[in-house]
Amino acid sequence: MTEQPLVSIRDLKKHFTVGRKLFGPKPVLRAVDGVDLDIRRGETLGLVGESGCGKSTLARTLIRLYEPTTGSMVFDGQDVAHLSERDLVPFRRRVQMIFQDPYASLNGRMTVRDLIAEPLEIARIGTPESRTAKVHELLARVGLHADHANRFAHEFSGGQRQRIGIARAIALEPDLVICDEPISALDVSVQAQVVNMLEDLQDQLGLTYLFITHDLSMVRHISDRIGVMYLGKIVELASNTDLYARPSHPYTRALLASIPVPDPTATRPADPVRGEIPSAMAVPSGCRFRTRCPMATELCASSEPTLRDIGGGHLAACHYAGTELAA
Amino acid sequence: MTQSTSGTPVLSVRDLTTSFFSQRGEVQAVRGVSFDVHPGEILGIVGESGSGKSITCMSVLRLLKATGRIKAGSANFDGQDLLALDEADLSDIRGNKIGMIFQDPMTSLNPTLSVGEQVIETILRHRKATRAEARARAIELFELVRIPSAADRLKSYPHEFSGGMRQRVMIAIALACDPRLLIADEPTTALDVTIQRQILGLLRDLQARLGMAVILITHDLGVIAEVTDRIVVMYGGLVMETGPVRELFAHPMHPYTRGLLASVPDLRDDTHRRLTPIPGSPPDMAHPPAGCPFTARCPHAMRQCAAELPPIFGHSQGARCWLHHPDAPRIAGINEVAA
Ligand SMILES: Nc1ncnc2c1ncn2[C@@H]1O[C@H](COP(=O)(O)OP(=O)(O)OP(=O)(O)O)[C@@H](O)[C@H]1O
Ligand SMILES: Nc1ncnc2c1ncn2[C@@H]1O[C@H](COP(=O)(O)OP(=O)(O)OP(=O)(O)O)[C@@H](O)[C@H]1O
Ligand code: SF4
Ligand code: SF4
Ligand SMILES: [Mg+2]
Ligand SMILES: [Mg+2]
Repeated sequence: MTEQPLVSIRDLKKHFTVGRKLFGPKPVLRAVDGVDLDIRRGETLGLVGESGCGKSTLARTLIRLYEPTTGSMVFDGQDVAHLSERDLVPFRRRVQMIFQDPYASLNGRMTVRDLIAEPLEIARIGTPESRTAKVHELLARVGLHADHANRFAHEFSGGQRQRIGIARAIALEPDLVICDEPISALDVSVQAQVVNMLEDLQDQLGLTYLFITHDLSMVRHISDRIGVMYLGKIVELASNTDLYARPSHPYTRALLASIPVPDPTATRPADPVRGEIPSAMAVPSGCRFRTRCPMATELCASSEPTLRDIGGGHLAACHYAGTELAA
Repeated sequence: MTQSTSGTPVLSVRDLTTSFFSQRGEVQAVRGVSFDVHPGEILGIVGESGSGKSITCMSVLRLLKATGRIKAGSANFDGQDLLALDEADLSDIRGNKIGMIFQDPMTSLNPTLSVGEQVIETILRHRKATRAEARARAIELFELVRIPSAADRLKSYPHEFSGGMRQRVMIAIALACDPRLLIADEPTTALDVTIQRQILGLLRDLQARLGMAVILITHDLGVIAEVTDRIVVMYGGLVMETGPVRELFAHPMHPYTRGLLASVPDLRDDTHRRLTPIPGSPPDMAHPPAGCPFTARCPHAMRQCAAELPPIFGHSQGARCWLHHPDAPRIAGINEVAA
């Protein structure tokens, strides 16, 4: 028997109605369009995919910043898709988020001490003195000094601000931390500092990470398993080793072949995929990747492939994944 | 100067020094930058945020904001110093003999004009041509940058295009007058990897076919490795290392270049091996250090480093680092080939 996952998402949809149309139905944007995803306890699940494919919307729906349109979300055995605002309070303590932009996501007028203590205050944990002590402990954990506590966030560099954001996110000792592009606003030389720190914190605190990123090299480094998203759906999911060794969805293959490799002697395939990602307001019939897929057949236009196990827990949503044709 | 390619450079920048002035004082954005770009080559400029990449190129084209001032240097293009030309002669070169692709909104697309109109305008500004000729050329350019149904798409407005298509339009405008030099500042940073791949392939292909020289600015070492011939590594407003891309990646001479290459994960490695970050953060250019700007983060820093700015040592590949002084201690992998 495998252990019950920490998070279990089934056929989750988040649709937005957009525009102002007086007559007829309002156009619907299918940002998240039937996601199936399990996050195991203690793992780092990487989530990759191109801009607009729905990664952030999935994360925001999972923490109930957005109301799900349909589908189920189970967190540690509890259905969280339908919890009322009041019943959400304990859940929200256990799931925290780290955002992309360390400049925009922290209030520059608050001291570091107040920023990090704020979640504790809201949750009414401890006294002001014990909270200050906790802030000092958290600062040490993320590699900052206790005397940084009285300074303002705008006095820090991007990497340091991201550390403050992380200290704030772990203040309530969450089970799950959703990292939405936590390093993409940082310089290359500073990214590695933050990634190493996230890995240390995971070991020390037993955290589970959902790590969202564009960076296909970093995601391989940090993740245990990786999900690939395209137009609102997970199209492939596998262990990091398996995904890079045996990418089985044509989109994953195109994505991996597009990564610029920092090695001038590497051989590079020609344009691995044609065209651009369609609008989430006009998702193609059948397989959503078929308009760009080099292998598309008539079947692909009429029938939507399901996300299925093609062996050893490697999931792919392509009619031909795991068959001779796809090799 | 360290230069491997022979022949007359298309652009030759010497000792370029640019600062910004405000109430807070002077920000020394570019502090004496020299490099050459040769015909038919792609020169990459790489370095972290704030290292002076954009301001170097904006200075060469004299497109600085009012608070910016070029304090010294020259930029030789076609036998003329761009930094000494009057504005009328300069604007004849910009967008004509030198094409530009910037992310800066000042030079990007006008939302109120159709993209075709913007291409046609650029052509008419610099060439004696009728409107019909300019229109025909615009269609040709759209085909060149592989915009499907080129003739129809001329009528579209920028917001009707995706990010990747808008970048193609920008490239078409930059190429409109057959420039001898194309300056592209982070042309693919905002794009997805599959689209980035398409645009980089297009740039490389056009560069080879049209024989122009290209300066490509990026902070992405992968992009640098993929398309450039030679690179300039900037840090703290200075050139830290320069050389042919293969040599530089195989044997980085500068501790900063080494640190940069070591801090990115190896895509071929799935062992969760710990990353090797560069400690600390880049210097504040309002108060640049007197000596080597990398001193505070460098694992090999010596007394001399904080005291005096090193010159560039080396020939076809060169590095601004005291470790390459003949009397410096030997460090495996930097100034000594590992045994
Ligand atoms: N509040 C909203 N209202 C309407 N549409 C939205 C809203 N939030 C997101 N969208 C749309 O939903 C789609 C998915 O957006 P989302 O931000 O989740 O993508 P993403 O994968 O996180 O992209 P990126 O990598 O650029 O951050 C996009 O088409 C976006 O424009
Ligand atoms: N308008 C301005 N006023 C004051 N300082 C400026 C201005 N523009 C740039 N600078 C400063 O000049 C320095 C060099 O900036 P530049 O834009 O060239 O960096 P860059 O290498 O292009 O970085 P990025 O990768 O972030 O684009 C930085 O320290 C920056 O803060
Ligand atoms: S189902 Fe068809 S269109 Fe979709 S990825 Fe597979 S082969 Fe391509
Ligand atoms: S000059 Fe000194 S501090 Fe600067 S990179 Fe070389 S060894 Fe390091
Ligand atoms: Mg997002
Ligand atoms: Mg720049």
